[in-house]
Amino acid sequence: MIPLRYNVRSLLVRRTTSLATLIGVALVVFVLATALMLTAGIDKTLAASGSSDHVVVLRKGSDAEMASSIETSALSMVLAGPGVKKDSAGKPIGSGEIVTVILGDKADGSGGVSNVLVRGVADNVMELRPEAHVIEGRPARPGSDEVIIGRAIRGRFKGMDLGQHFDLKKNRPLTVVGVFEDGGSSFESEVWADVETVRSSFGREGTVTSATVTLDSPSKHDAFKLAVEQDKRLGLEVLRETTYYEKQSEATSMLMAVLGWVISVFFIIAAVIGAFITMNTAVAHRKREVGTLRAIGFSRRAILMSFTLECIVLAMTGAAIGVVLASLMSFVRFSVINWASWSEIVFTFQMTPGIVVTSVVVGGMTGLLGGIIPAFRASRMRPIDALRA
Amino acid sequence: MNLATLGVKNVARHKGRTALTAIGIAVAIVLFMLMRTVVLSWTGAVDASAKDRIATRHKVTFIMQLPKRYVEDIGNMPGVTKVNGVPQVTWANWFGAKDPNRPDDFFGTIATDPATFLSVYDEIIVDPAQATAWKQDRRGALVGDSLAKKFGWKVGDKVVLQGTIFPGNWEFNIDGIYTAERRTVDRSTLWFHWDYLNESPVFKPKDMVGWIITRVDEPGQSAAISKKIDAMFDERDTQTVTMSEKALNQSFLGFFSAILKAVDVVTFAILVIIVLILGNTIAMGVRERTAEYGCLRAIGFRGSHLAAFVVGESVTIGLLGGLLGLGISWLLVNQALGPFIEENMGGILPHFRIPPELALVGLGIAMLLALLAAVWPAYRASRLKVVDALRTVE
Repeated sequence: MIPLRYNVRSLLVRRTTSLATLIGVALVVFVLATALMLTAGIDKTLAASGSSDHVVVLRKGSDAEMASSIETSALSMVLAGPGVKKDSAGKPIGSGEIVTVILGDKADGSGGVSNVLVRGVADNVMELRPEAHVIEGRPARPGSDEVIIGRAIRGRFKGMDLGQHFDLKKNRPLTVVGVFEDGGSSFESEVWADVETVRSSFGREGTVTSATVTLDSPSKHDAFKLAVEQDKRLGLEVLRETTYYEKQSEATSMLMAVLGWVISVFFIIAAVIGAFITMNTAVAHRKREVGTLRAIGFSRRAILMSFTLECIVLAMTGAAIGVVLASLMSFVRFSVINWASWSEIVFTFQMTPGIVVTSVVVGGMTGLLGGIIPAFRASRMRPIDALRA
Repeated sequence: MNLATLGVKNVARHKGRTALTAIGIAVAIVLFMLMRTVVLSWTGAVDASAKDRIATRHKVTFIMQLPKRYVEDIGNMPGVTKVNGVPQVTWANWFGAKDPNRPDDFFGTIATDPATFLSVYDEIIVDPAQATAWKQDRRGALVGDSLAKKFGWKVGDKVVLQGTIFPGNWEFNIDGIYTAERRTVDRSTLWFHWDYLNESPVFKPKDMVGWIITRVDEPGQSAAISKKIDAMFDERDTQTVTMSEKALNQSFLGFFSAILKAVDVVTFAILVIIVLILGNTIAMGVRERTAEYGCLRAIGFRGSHLAAFVVGESVTIGLLGGLLGLGISWLLVNQALGPFIEENMGGILPHFRIPPELALVGLGIAMLLALLAAVWPAYRASRLKVVDALRTVE
């Protein structure tokens, strides 16, 4: 085999063109990895939002919590359903919530506005969602005008930071007393207020929008679903919480993945062409070298291997640079609209081992595709002709 | 034969390489056109919004409504357009419905006041006979042409939709199909009588509307009138926020600002790729022809002439790639993707076509980047010393 050092040195001789190819591949991998990281971020947020032993109860026919409405009288029947987990005092762990959105002024000075999801939660919300905990400030006092906000929206809107206020209704300011974290879920893009406060401000007397209930185990889902949906007077629908959140952002997640791959394919084609041009010219210029190598006994296969490897090494180096650049994106927050509530959910770019592998493989493939034909040409040269050139 | 044509002739020396470079540029240009078309289609609705229309909504949240009497209050304000003594104020309420047979196909359903709706939205085109029929039919629906096409609805059809916010089965008669003069109106919405919604027992509280749209005489006065409207309702039970149609559309667009930013980053990356591919090819050409350039210099050509050859060659390849890219984009966007997207995503991307200005910009960019890519190789070619150049062995 021809030593790899020969290839590295060849690349260094043609610094400019090598560098151009390198940057090209790095860009391709950067774009691809970033798109994949965003999709991974969305998936991670969704996975964290849904808990397998939780079920969401909605009015039949409504797709989202916000469009749903359940009478308070029906709520007690839901909580009395089979398989509902009880706390130490024997009370069911589950509650009716009122989900609404308010218009928030962006705090970045752009003058823009966006919707913020406000969830009216019951006193036992921390018991219902044990993952959530206040990381700064303190929990809100039950029945008060105090709220806690998810850490993802902290500081994104006017009035949304510790000690600040915002209006739910004229002359009815809510005070932010705490910031909570919930394992990176979409709840971190919400405001949690007292359910009664939200109810009176939004004129939702006698109803909640939806209910979330903890079951003894995920396997109790079917029995609970059957019992609640059987009662036609209630007109309710039961969904696993995991399914509910998957459905909520299915479209966004899909769009990002498809968009990312479409853009990447275009980029890959461009990069393959770039690598091909570079290698093709490199081969043409090194006719004599190839002839010499053949004359001193290297086989056709060794030449083929050597030139292909050269291009792959170049592309992989570019890919590595692209991955490193992409991993810097983990510090960027990206907000996407949740179609079901017209509010924003904040995502982060999530680097995973799978993405690193995919990126490097795609980078290597780019090198292989661009380099294989020129390498083949080099290996087919007759030593006599090559040396005479 | 002048110097420029000599430069252009060089293009044909490595036909394979030139072709590949042009294809590479074409691919990048196609992506560029696609990205820009997405952005322009998105922002197009904002730019083309009517300057004389303002919208009033609930101050805190769009899920709460305004009392219907606010419509009359706004109509009595000075500055509001009147046609034959009728104030040009209409109202709307989001309905939310799906076809039970095709539950995954989303489309907008909005309750409005047909009498005022068509005169406030004067860019909506509908056959006068159909318009009259719609106005008189309490269960009548006016649907956009792309929605009608998608679901195969014709005038005279009866459709039953399932309400997602207001439960139950709702029966509508398709009375008319509209198109729009301005290409920014969503042509996949179903508009129907607010009265039909208001008289239903599931619509409570009664006599509430989602938002109110008002036409004003002087577009320049719209900000002042908006302020007056909000001030008027400030002391009432429900506070409002009024904004120009443009601001309303912009706030809607705000949701997508992160995506638009991402698209901008990608667009920039595309431009860099073009420079890289082209620069690479040109640099190779220059290196190969070092000896030849030495000859030219020896017989009296100046460095600037050589630079002109290099630039001419680069710009020609850029032009070729740009033209090829434009052709492919036209096929892809205007012929294939455009009609599909307008039909299925008309709500977000109402007009998905390459604007002629963008085609010019795309071509201009290809040539400009070609110029940029040629700078360094041209500089190197122009600075060659005759002796060194002639001594070069390939």
